[in-house]
Amino acid sequence: MATNTESTAATARPELSDYLSDDLVIHGLLVFSIVLMGLPLILAVVMSTQTPSEVYEVTNVGIGSQGLANYQTALGEYNLGQYMWNSFVMASIIVVGKVALSLLAALALVYYRFPYERAVFMFILLTLLLPVPVRIVPLFQLMADLGWANSMLSITGPYIASATAVFLFRQHFMSIPASLVDNARLDGVGPFTFLVKVLIPMSKGMIAGVSVITFIYAWNQYLWPLVVISAQEKQVVQVGIRYLQGASQSGLTQWGLIMAGAVLALIPPLLVLVVLHRPLLKTFAIQQK
Amino acid sequence: MTEFTKPFDSSWQAYLLLVPTFAVLIAFLYYPAVETFRLSLYQTLLLGTQKAFVGLENFKILATSPEYQRSFVISFAFAAFVVVGTLVVSLFVSYLLFEVSRGTSSYLVAAIWPYALPTAVAATVLMFLMHPTLGVITHYLEALTGIELDWFTSGPLAFVVVGLVAIWKQLGYNIIFLVAALNNIPETLTESAKLDGVGRLKMLYKVYVPLISPTMVFLVVMDTIYAFFQTFPMVDLMTSGGPSGATNLLIYKLYRDAFEFNSLGKASAESIILFVIVAILMYVQLRVSESYTHYGA
Amino acid sequence: MSHIQLDDLRKRFGDVEAVRGIDLEIEKGEFLVLVGPSGCGKSTTLRMLAGLEDISEGELRIADERVNGVAPKNRNVAMVFQNYALYPHMTAAENMKFGMKSAGDYGDDEIERRLDRAADILDIPELMERKPGELSGGERQRVAIGRALVREPEVFLLDEPLSNLDAKLRVQMRAELLKLHQELQTTTVYVTHDQTEAMTLGDRVAVLDAGQLQQVAEPQELYDFPANRFVAEFIGNPAMNLVPVDVVEDGGEVRAEHEGFSVGLPDQAGLDDAVGQSAHFGIRPEDVSLAGNLPADAPTHEITVSVTEPLGESLLMHCDVGGDEIQVKAEPRAEIRPGDDIEVGFDEERLHLFDQSGDAVYHSTSATPKTSEAPLTE
Repeated sequence: MATNTESTAATARPELSDYLSDDLVIHGLLVFSIVLMGLPLILAVVMSTQTPSEVYEVTNVGIGSQGLANYQTALGEYNLGQYMWNSFVMASIIVVGKVALSLLAALALVYYRFPYERAVFMFILLTLLLPVPVRIVPLFQLMADLGWANSMLSITGPYIASATAVFLFRQHFMSIPASLVDNARLDGVGPFTFLVKVLIPMSKGMIAGVSVITFIYAWNQYLWPLVVISAQEKQVVQVGIRYLQGASQSGLTQWGLIMAGAVLALIPPLLVLVVLHRPLLKTFAIQQK
Repeated sequence: MTEFTKPFDSSWQAYLLLVPTFAVLIAFLYYPAVETFRLSLYQTLLLGTQKAFVGLENFKILATSPEYQRSFVISFAFAAFVVVGTLVVSLFVSYLLFEVSRGTSSYLVAAIWPYALPTAVAATVLMFLMHPTLGVITHYLEALTGIELDWFTSGPLAFVVVGLVAIWKQLGYNIIFLVAALNNIPETLTESAKLDGVGRLKMLYKVYVPLISPTMVFLVVMDTIYAFFQTFPMVDLMTSGGPSGATNLLIYKLYRDAFEFNSLGKASAESIILFVIVAILMYVQLRVSESYTHYGA
Repeated sequence: MSHIQLDDLRKRFGDVEAVRGIDLEIEKGEFLVLVGPSGCGKSTTLRMLAGLEDISEGELRIADERVNGVAPKNRNVAMVFQNYALYPHMTAAENMKFGMKSAGDYGDDEIERRLDRAADILDIPELMERKPGELSGGERQRVAIGRALVREPEVFLLDEPLSNLDAKLRVQMRAELLKLHQELQTTTVYVTHDQTEAMTLGDRVAVLDAGQLQQVAEPQELYDFPANRFVAEFIGNPAMNLVPVDVVEDGGEVRAEHEGFSVGLPDQAGLDDAVGQSAHFGIRPEDVSLAGNLPADAPTHEITVSVTEPLGESLLMHCDVGGDEIQVKAEPRAEIRPGDDIEVGFDEERLHLFDQSGDAVYHSTSATPKTSEAPLTE
């Protein structure tokens, strides 16, 4: 009986006006969730304009009197500009290196006949089991032995080959229609021409997607730079935020300054995401398969 | 996926193309990983300058160390907290995103941006906003609940606060995948259910969740790996493992053992344990995705 | 001397033999169509001609030169694919030039000259700067053909080039392909699963099934004198009716006896050997006429109509005769309804018998001996 009344109530429901108000509820809930998710960031931006004494008035959530001065101080006096540049160089090298290496590897895997193909692919894929913490101690020693400690090489080298990127390019190459490949064979197109004139132009979206993922990932690195870079001026911005924490002024922690630093460290990846979210989403759609 | 005859058959060219990737993988991934195995069988003395073969002694020490046991349990509890929290919130938001028909793409960007949020930034921002004395969020929460939220001294509170940071940062990634999975559901299914007058909430857990369960499993695995491996900056910046070990996650303990106490052998053994955890998670993911592809999901 | 020679050509994929020994000679300038159901090995055969698949066994000669193992680009063949195989990021002109540029044997002037010529022949100069995404299906196919043209190959290979087009466009492109072939007279091998396409396009048609050649002949001959049951049923739409009969001699006349009818068979080669055997009697739906259209003394048989399908230009009827189904094509607007019993007569010049193994043993008209003449031009 109970199920009966329930189902009649339900069938009576889809009236136009019901759907409209229903939609309004959905929009309301969605806006609420999004604001809640963004609230800490909005507050951080607001607080980044406050002086320490304004920060210490806890309920003061208005724009502070510092304006952008905290940002200036963070970038200049606290060297955040240098750290951001280091992060930017690191992330760019990793993006370019990873894309280039993975394109070459995928070209070999998809378009070449050679012995032990399957084993080679497995060898690459198995590295998914080896995140940095699994090998951090010997890796650190290796960097020291190579004399790479405190260098850009140490924070980029270990990251420029990647199972994920090879896998993504491989999937994408395999989805290119067979007849295009046949056609290239009929024309006798060489591998280099094929890569440059056909594969790369046809993989623009995927390359953009992999680049975004890699950039955000590289920019987010914290543990490894913390371990391997001890010279402050060579440090990346994520660890640089840590240095800001010591900043205090007449006994008060300069939270406004720290917030400014945090916001600065967020801007580049956020910008990249907003601009390139389309290829990113498409790439993720392939990754999960 | 189309089958085709591979156009190029020069083996040495193929290997040449693979050399750069292989060089990096061998030098910076395989070699250090194997070294980790080797080192885990040694005890390092005198700040790592000398070492002695001890077999599985390091693992025995870890297994019997109350501190490590605690860290182990805490890490799993933390992972569970983060996985459940992230999935519940992001499923809710994703479902809302899926249900709205207007302004979808701007809503989407506004919802997935935490994917670009660096962990250290997330930790720094929330550490301040939830600061026991200066944090505006803490202030209002305390006013609302009447409870003193001093997570600088309370272990469980610190655990929750770090967990919240971890969830916040991970929402974007989860929403990306959940929205994609929901959008992949054939529209006819949604429409026929709507014609039957199935309510929204019922639709979610009776129709949608079963259909997107492969994605959910994938996210459980990825979020667990995240909770184990990417959470170092939060602990490092916010709690340093405290108070009294309440947030001393395995990854943080590994860092301290390796680079503060120079117990390289012991740290390597800890790395191996982390490796086993990733391996099990990846295996689960592989098996589950295999069993789903058999059903053509 | 034939232009392309296939000598016992075979292709194995692992344990599966996809092409099982094909012998075929294709004349210079001929338009040969390879037709068969999907999986019959026609595409594989074409791909062996192109060099895209290795030849497992047998010999392939083009212009009297053995080309087994010769790289595709050195065979001087051009191929057109079902899905056009155009690079989406290149304009039509770039697509057409890409192969020649890769080969590197041609100067820029030569490439431009050929490009202009191909564009003119195909009447697509205005499409040259567009990308495939901005072209319709038919336009893309023209560009794909243009790309084959600029290479001025010795042989054109076309793999179901019209299958992705809608029905109307397909008919139009068919006519254009014919015109193009008349103009260029390049040897062409064309693969399709569509028997209408095969009949309309081919100078000769080679019917394949299960990796083996069933019959190679001019279209009309294929239709009139199918070599076996497979060809009889595959060529012609609707398919030829085939019903089991006993062939008996009755007072000097040979007859095909069936539960529902008995037909006298005119004396022709093979008939005597068929006497006393059970066989399959074949007649095309269009060779069955309503009694009203026949002379008064013509023998007729009663059949029961079960389903009628008005096709517009004719009326197709599924009928029951002695427990077997046959299809009959009658004139449109005939007042016939399902359940009606009707009188029909068989065109005695169009009767066929197939033995138990499926081979044709008898046609009621003698096959005019047509040994490979010069390719027909319509």
